[in-house]
Amino acid sequence: MSESIAVVKRPLITPFNVIAGLILLAGAGAGLYRFAVGLAPSTNLDHLNPWGLWIGFDVMTGVALAAGGFTISSAVYLFGLKEYQPLVRPALLTGFLGYFLVVVGLLVDLGQPWRLPYPFVVQSGPTSALFEIALCVALYLTVLFVEFTPAAFEWLGWKRWRRLVHRLTIALTIFGLILSTMHQSTLGAMYLITPSRLHPLWYSSHIPVHFFVSAVIAGLSMVIFESALSHRVFADQVEVTHEKLDEMTIGLAKAACVALGIYLAIKVVSISLDNEWALLLTPYGHWYLFEIGGFVVLPMIGYAIGFRERRTTIIRVSAVIAVVGIVLNRLNVSIFAYNWQLPAHERYWPHPFEIIVTVALVTFGVVMFKWIAGRMPILHEHPEYRGEH
Amino acid sequence: MSVSRRGFLGGAGAVAGVVAGSATARAGGGAERFVGYPDAMGLLHDTTLCVGCRTCELACAKVNGKPKPAGPLHDVSIFNKLRRVTDKLYTVVNRYVKARGKKPPVYRKHQCMHCQEPCCASVCFVKAFTKTPEGPVLYDPSVCVGCRYCVNVCPYYALGYEYDNAINPTVQRCTMCYSRIKKGEQPGCAEACPMGAIVFGKRKDLIKLARQRIAKFPDRYVDEIFGEHEYGGTSWLTLAGVSFDKLGLPVNASHKPLPELTAGFLSVVPLVITIYPGLLLGFYAWTRRKERLTEEARVAAVAQARAADGEVAATKAAEQKKLAESRQKRAVDLAVKKALADAEKAAAAKEDTP
Amino acid sequence: MHTLQDFFHFTKGMTYIIAALFLVGSIGFWLFLTSREDKP
Repeated sequence: MSESIAVVKRPLITPFNVIAGLILLAGAGAGLYRFAVGLAPSTNLDHLNPWGLWIGFDVMTGVALAAGGFTISSAVYLFGLKEYQPLVRPALLTGFLGYFLVVVGLLVDLGQPWRLPYPFVVQSGPTSALFEIALCVALYLTVLFVEFTPAAFEWLGWKRWRRLVHRLTIALTIFGLILSTMHQSTLGAMYLITPSRLHPLWYSSHIPVHFFVSAVIAGLSMVIFESALSHRVFADQVEVTHEKLDEMTIGLAKAACVALGIYLAIKVVSISLDNEWALLLTPYGHWYLFEIGGFVVLPMIGYAIGFRERRTTIIRVSAVIAVVGIVLNRLNVSIFAYNWQLPAHERYWPHPFEIIVTVALVTFGVVMFKWIAGRMPILHEHPEYRGEH
Repeated sequence: MSVSRRGFLGGAGAVAGVVAGSATARAGGGAERFVGYPDAMGLLHDTTLCVGCRTCELACAKVNGKPKPAGPLHDVSIFNKLRRVTDKLYTVVNRYVKARGKKPPVYRKHQCMHCQEPCCASVCFVKAFTKTPEGPVLYDPSVCVGCRYCVNVCPYYALGYEYDNAINPTVQRCTMCYSRIKKGEQPGCAEACPMGAIVFGKRKDLIKLARQRIAKFPDRYVDEIFGEHEYGGTSWLTLAGVSFDKLGLPVNASHKPLPELTAGFLSVVPLVITIYPGLLLGFYAWTRRKERLTEEARVAAVAQARAADGEVAATKAAEQKKLAESRQKRAVDLAVKKALADAEKAAAAKEDTP
Repeated sequence: MHTLQDFFHFTKGMTYIIAALFLVGSIGFWLFLTSREDKP
């Protein structure tokens, strides 16, 4: 270890590392088991419910929660909101790790994951929403990776490479926003063909718009939550003051509040267009009202109060609630409100191994974030590149 | 890097040429209906003739090399639970309505409906499904990635997947005995049915046959051929004496093919690709313009402030100068006065002394 | 082209390619448009 780099030597055996390590080991074991014996013994998937937790959470929710990358980078670089600059790199890193884990989760779920490149190199099905998603996610993962490299180049001292990539910032941000708009909405569009299987309250011909707006909500809320967490965990290296973080948090709360308001409006419009008011009185209707009331209206009010009173605690709590709400919505669309007409014994519930793999993937993302942010200029500026963003 | 005008126009022209050359004479536009292959085959399942013997299940298993269906065929206790098609059971006969009084029980054979506009073909991102001119929807396992999107969207729950195959899992479903049809034979189930509840023939002929039966026996049949129009129509047509929702089929289903719903949205995708670059570059340019104007205003304000400071300083300097000058003048006057006074005094003193 | 599926397969495949070309072309278009702006 070079002594010229002033790195605080952290002990390897910490409670966090031990627990994370055990989870990762269990996840690796479950994953190996899945590939050794197939999907039947390792999951509860069947012919009526071919998509379970790995698609519903790892893929569909994961993509929404990684949306902070395009929202913050667009805000700073395209719309000139330079005061949020310190949040760009952590958001992009979260985005990159998030999408990477989405792909890993997908590879575990696919029947023949080694054939994933087939739509691009063997035979294409361009009528499929999934084709567009595959294309966009592959390209966007590349964009996110390239957007992450300046931090790595600064850390490595590769000045020319860093300069080269930095010049691509605007183009990458625009391309990233195009790709994100497409695949976030198309994830919802996958369900347009399923009006006979998805419950009418969650089904709408506008479901792609619902998914995109809720992705923006998820992205902003995740940034609020993560920046607060990173500020505490990495207190020794963050350069942003408490006051500055609070200022940014309050500003983001305003945006998230507006986004939630828009989301509420378009959800109500969908119910009105399909004349589904009476369905709100059914058991599924109550569940729908619970999702909207507790996880859309409530955080919207929380953000509003937090913004007006300038109280960051309320804002951060609202952020957590909003994120849980997006998770709930994605799980409702893919699992709980899907196949809603089937009798109870034909419905799906995740197998323990599915849960282990999912938890392990999330843990892996957290571990990677911690490792990278603890070494590379993500939460602080590299002294040689101060101000050059 | 700059692009010359000529280079840009040349490139655009080349693209236009390629597109024009590959376009076919057929243009959609959305107001046109696709009627499918005119001589496609189909099957008519008359549930009023079905007695639940499950011979079709046995024949299907034999033709496709699948394990024999459960239980002895005469054991009717199997009908107590609704069975689904699986990766090993391409077709199932279920009892949907129990016998009541004189009325016999109602059975229906279920399998892939070989839709005219199949959802599975629409959602497959490797185009593993093909609607053939002969009628059956075929599946190509050699390109299948195993995403199971098709299994998830089928409105008839007609697809199975080999979850217990770790190496080469594929989608499993009724194939309408495509290879047999190509040889001029009937599908296994149609050939095996002892009651004539399954008729194989050209789809358009079967619709005529079904209409004839309904017209001849209006009290026996519900006045509808399921599969004629639902979700764009299916190759398997069903006649029944009870309403179709009692038989596990969607009643009042839209006649619009479900793939149209996806296609409508996907047509917006190229709009995003073509509109966003200009729009976002516009936002970026607008942001830069605002920053530039703010910067210019700031520089102008600083300069103005400096100039104003300068004026103030100049005025002050002038005032100081005036003050100094006047002070100086007064000092000079005073000195002159004093000198004159001294001189007078001296002159007066001189006069006094003789 | 007998089925909607055939029609969509053709048109969407073609449209993806055209849209991608426009996207790539937009870079050149923008650079061409603004190439004289930065000169003093």
